[in-house]
Amino acid sequence: MIRLLRMVLALCVLLLAGLLRPAAEPALVTFTPEETDMILAHGPWPVPWQRDASNRVSGRPEAIAFGRRLFFDTRLSATGTVSCATCHQPDRFWTDGRPLGRALAEVDRNTPTLANVRLNRWFGWDGANDNLWAQSFRPLLDPRELGATEGKIAEAIRNQADLLCGYRRAFGEEPPADDERLVVDVGKALAAFAETLVTGRTSFDDFRDALARGDRAGAAAYPAAAQRGLKIFVGRGRCSLCHFGPNFTHGEFHEIGIPIYRKAGGVDWGRYQGIKLLRASRFNLLGAFNDDPRRAQGAPTRYVDLLPQTFEQFRVPSLRNVALTAPYMHNGHFASLAEIVRHYSEIDPGKLHVAHVYFTDGTPEDGDPPPADTTLRPLHLSAQEIADVVAFLETLTEKAPAPPAADSEACPAPSRSARGGS
Amino acid sequence: MPRIVIAIGAILAACGAAAGQPCGEEWPDAAAVETSGYTLKFRTRPAKIRIGQHFAIEMLVCPREGAALPRTVGVDAFMPEHRHGMNYRPVVKALGPGRFQADGLMLHMPGRWEFRFDVERQGRTERLTRDVVLK
Repeated sequence: MIRLLRMVLALCVLLLAGLLRPAAEPALVTFTPEETDMILAHGPWPVPWQRDASNRVSGRPEAIAFGRRLFFDTRLSATGTVSCATCHQPDRFWTDGRPLGRALAEVDRNTPTLANVRLNRWFGWDGANDNLWAQSFRPLLDPRELGATEGKIAEAIRNQADLLCGYRRAFGEEPPADDERLVVDVGKALAAFAETLVTGRTSFDDFRDALARGDRAGAAAYPAAAQRGLKIFVGRGRCSLCHFGPNFTHGEFHEIGIPIYRKAGGVDWGRYQGIKLLRASRFNLLGAFNDDPRRAQGAPTRYVDLLPQTFEQFRVPSLRNVALTAPYMHNGHFASLAEIVRHYSEIDPGKLHVAHVYFTDGTPEDGDPPPADTTLRPLHLSAQEIADVVAFLETLTEKAPAPPAADSEACPAPSRSARGGS
Repeated sequence: MPRIVIAIGAILAACGAAAGQPCGEEWPDAAAVETSGYTLKFRTRPAKIRIGQHFAIEMLVCPREGAALPRTVGVDAFMPEHRHGMNYRPVVKALGPGRFQADGLMLHMPGRWEFRFDVERQGRTERLTRDVVLK
């Protein structure tokens, strides 16, 4: 009996000790002040809405509705069989899941997601466009994509009752007589719709905001593996030098050692060619189709430089929803996030920034060091560390999609055959 | 006559003294960089540089030790640790004697950037540099 009492007493002491002991601090990785600053720079999310001054119908509900209709409409294609949504599929997070895009024929590059595209400074993998509306009508006219002509698109808008109604409501006027101007307006309506494609908040955003308000318990709810991966991402991995800011991209271009030979033959020079196309385009922000007479957004185009290092560079993509948009890189070179992290981890700097040597005399200017960018250097991550970085990237997936823009559709429905599926 | 010579000499000396106080009291809050030939004061517009946002630099160049006023100034920015510069080429315009403005700069990465100001002096270039760290 005494033995039993002793056991009960010991048990009570143990229980009491457990109750009185302070609750264990939730697991939170230690971040340096520099790492913390960098983490905070990746938010807050979402970024406040700002209309595109170069597009007079940006943010206008009627234009968004018209753009949505055009986006899924196969009547804008040469064959009547494909639409923007053939490659930018909503149920694939506005990509197509293929290494290289394919509408009427296969193209040279991977289909980038349209999510958060409104935040871009440059559009396309090579930044050949400096605005969303020019980028939006470009595929309509590419023979491998929708393969239409300006005349065919203009005819569809003028002669199809639902499209004519949509145009009038979006722009508040009759379609212009000039086909080119009308096609640019189609691009502006498509852009108005694309601007509404915004990703929702992620568990990373919750972590980042908890860190910002000093809420350690809230921050510690973020998975430990993701925290470790994040520490590599903003720390020794230096990933956030390029994948910087709330949209996880600085919006510029970099060479990262991905093969540049096109499947169809030849070489994809990336940004170098993109700058040439940009400068030659009548549809850039310095041109007459910009609806902002001040050309306030034109500085990047006005001052961009055709530098030797732009050979083989491609636009740094956003990482939001990245786990949902495989395959990756400008040509779909990688099938998984782990492959990408492994690539960066074992990157060979000797194979980077090679091409421009053949196009310049290689002489440093004014004592500058040779033009060899050393931003990327091998990390030699362990298998566990690679898994941690992937775990972090997976937390950039939206928990729920952002609410869609209000539909202002008031035009008759298109014929059944016109719909590309939505 | 000797008095006149002395007076002229005094005036020249006074002018020289003024030149020896490069930029004087102008732009007291601006950053200043110096070489043997020049003091260059500069300030950015907007004042706070944001990563990925275009900005301009206003410059005031003041000769020292008899150096001539430069007709133009070259402006660039470079990341020494990464060995790359900007993706944009700024355009410099003269606003008056010793006054210049560079438009079109954009620093696209966090980290240490080095502003480089190149001033022509007697057929060679003097480079003035100043670091800025962006977060």
